[in-house]
Amino acid sequence: MSDDIDIGVLAESFNEFLSAEWPREMAVDHAKGHAPLAAELWSQAGALGWTALTASEAQGGLGLGMEAAAALHEALGAAAAPLPMLGTTLATALVAAAGTPQQRDALIPGLADGSVRAAIASPDAATIIADGASLNGVVADILDAPAATLLLLRGTQVGQPVWIALPAAAAGVTITPTGLADSSRSLGTVTLANVALADAQILTGDCGPGLDDALLRVAAIALAADSLGGGNAVLAATIDYMGTREQFGRVIGSFQALKHRVADHKAALESARGLVEHAATLPADAPGALLAALTAKQHVTRIAAEVARDCIQLHGGVGFTSEYVPHIYLKRAKLNEVLHGTRTAVLDRIANMLEAA
Amino acid sequence: MTRAYDIIGKVGDEAAFRQELRDWLAENMPANWRSEWQKVRGSALKTEIVKWLEARRKVGLGTPHWPKEWGGPGLPFAYQIMVYEELSRADAPEVEMFIISLFHTPATLFEHGTQEQKDKYLSGIINGTDIWCQGFSEPGAGSDLAALRTSARLDGDHYVVNGQKIWSSGAAHADYCLLLARTDPNGKRKHDGISYFILDMKTPGVTVRPINQITGEAHFAEIFMDDVKIPVANLIGAEGNGWNIAQSTLSTERGLLIFGEVERLARSFECDGAAARDTWMRDVQFRREYAALYGELQTVRLMIRKLLIELEAHPDKASPTLPTYIKLTWGPFLQRYTEFLLRAEGLETQKWQPAIPGTGHSSRLRMNDFLNSYGWTIAGGSNEIMRNIIAERILGMPKG
Repeated sequence: MSDDIDIGVLAESFNEFLSAEWPREMAVDHAKGHAPLAAELWSQAGALGWTALTASEAQGGLGLGMEAAAALHEALGAAAAPLPMLGTTLATALVAAAGTPQQRDALIPGLADGSVRAAIASPDAATIIADGASLNGVVADILDAPAATLLLLRGTQVGQPVWIALPAAAAGVTITPTGLADSSRSLGTVTLANVALADAQILTGDCGPGLDDALLRVAAIALAADSLGGGNAVLAATIDYMGTREQFGRVIGSFQALKHRVADHKAALESARGLVEHAATLPADAPGALLAALTAKQHVTRIAAEVARDCIQLHGGVGFTSEYVPHIYLKRAKLNEVLHGTRTAVLDRIANMLEAA
Repeated sequence: MTRAYDIIGKVGDEAAFRQELRDWLAENMPANWRSEWQKVRGSALKTEIVKWLEARRKVGLGTPHWPKEWGGPGLPFAYQIMVYEELSRADAPEVEMFIISLFHTPATLFEHGTQEQKDKYLSGIINGTDIWCQGFSEPGAGSDLAALRTSARLDGDHYVVNGQKIWSSGAAHADYCLLLARTDPNGKRKHDGISYFILDMKTPGVTVRPINQITGEAHFAEIFMDDVKIPVANLIGAEGNGWNIAQSTLSTERGLLIFGEVERLARSFECDGAAARDTWMRDVQFRREYAALYGELQTVRLMIRKLLIELEAHPDKASPTLPTYIKLTWGPFLQRYTEFLLRAEGLETQKWQPAIPGTGHSSRLRMNDFLNSYGWTIAGGSNEIMRNIIAERILGMPKG
């Protein structure tokens, strides 16, 4: 299957569908509320197989790699689509890496067909002790938990790191939503009170630092791709606006002082694209695969946030209103910058890798 | 006595080719060339570079990117890339005053020169030591190059040329000049009426005056032309077609030349970090800046690789957009990185030292490299011109 699919064609199909089904007006409308996801759009994405990209064919997926996932996340970023797709991409990778064959068969098909939406604890999240027959504890700030049907939590079992896969609807599980500035995603705090634990819910396969790095690589590429899409989309919307807004008897897009800022943003985004493509193309076990992913993450999320910041300025007053799109991209870009490690933390890691090379 | 090398004979086996090239470089690079070349300028430097080119010529790599037809090795593009990559990674010297000879002149003559011109001038580059320079810019025609005013008036079997050129690298040592001059002052657009000539720098009426630069060097020169006679046979292409031909000349800067430069910097970047293991790499702020600059360097390298892949697939119609993005990313990156090193390495960087010819932008003399970075942000189309091109030609924003 994977040999038959052209990533460029795939990317085009993502973009075409989203520009028809999730145009700028819908993004603007959605941003006025706090719905944890665009439910209808999620169903469509599942029906189109977008949730199945990286799942293996044996589990109902398309068996594609990070290149396809990056193309999807870029398209979702370009549309600022309120879909908890990062959870699907990460959970698929996690279960494939740490689950038993039975666990993979039980969990991945639901992720692939979109009937299951996963939320996954971040690297610095609290861990839950899984030594008894029931679970107790609080895990704060899990991305997209309010939209999730499956929670993937960090745990320990006899002192060893494990992952726990719990249905969000299990008795004793409470998810308290926390509003985010970026209303295209959501955050939730998960409270566990005497939640019954079955052995099948514990993923024990090799859950050490190697797995954390593998997940970090996937998250870094997906977030960089999302920001790349968002950066290009907000710049395109801004160029459109600058071609119609007139002041001093001219369209503002003809002023060189403004055009040069746009040109710098365009060049920055075009050059950033190579980092995402390179990181997504490298096999997971290639030397430098994590370095490439982290480099893409720190650079592209920064560039895109900076572009989005200036796009509000380039719009002028209307850029400060909720009726125009730039604020949606700015908020999404700022969230991407801090998810899975702030930039300084990522830079420290990169510096270590460069020194070790 | 060194062993016999057959680098060109390894074409077909990339790994063997690369290894043979590396072995040859390890044994044949001029010893201590950095410290030796730092001491010499002018004709003494030319002698050093000619020796290095001779050594390369013996293994078929005097002009690695030239086709067989004109005396080059006729390497497949992937092997040309490998040659320039290995030269950079080995810190082999750049050919300085021969860059126009090896890149710009052939890029112009291969496509637009007459048979007679190719026979006469290319062999002078292959076999001899002819140095070429470029006479494009003028005091009144920099970013607005098409406004150039140097005039060429047809008079029998020659043109009479009057005017002034500026920013001509290596003109002080040049034998020939690639010259743009206006043959028709009444063209509809200012791009019309420009013609392209080969100027013999020994022609009476040619005066060269070096320009002292902020680095203390004088690579550039002004060329004054006072009733200079250029034979009609030295016109390249048709009269009035000079602007189009100039695009071929300049396109050569957008491939292997910039690739070699950037790979050389990539090597320096690694060395700089390793050398600072006990100094600024222990400072959390500088360490993070270095890690961030690594990302910027990678964006440039990856774009150039993409461009080379495009050039390999369509040598004649590479996209004009990618080189513009590369130019506007690489120049400012180079300036930021070299400036970073001044801050990181402190007072030591402020002690004046003579430049090291042949090192491109990676002499690792911090102040020199920083000052030289303007070579990529002003020359060959300034950052501001690149921004105009992106905004107006690529993004279609209205002209102001």
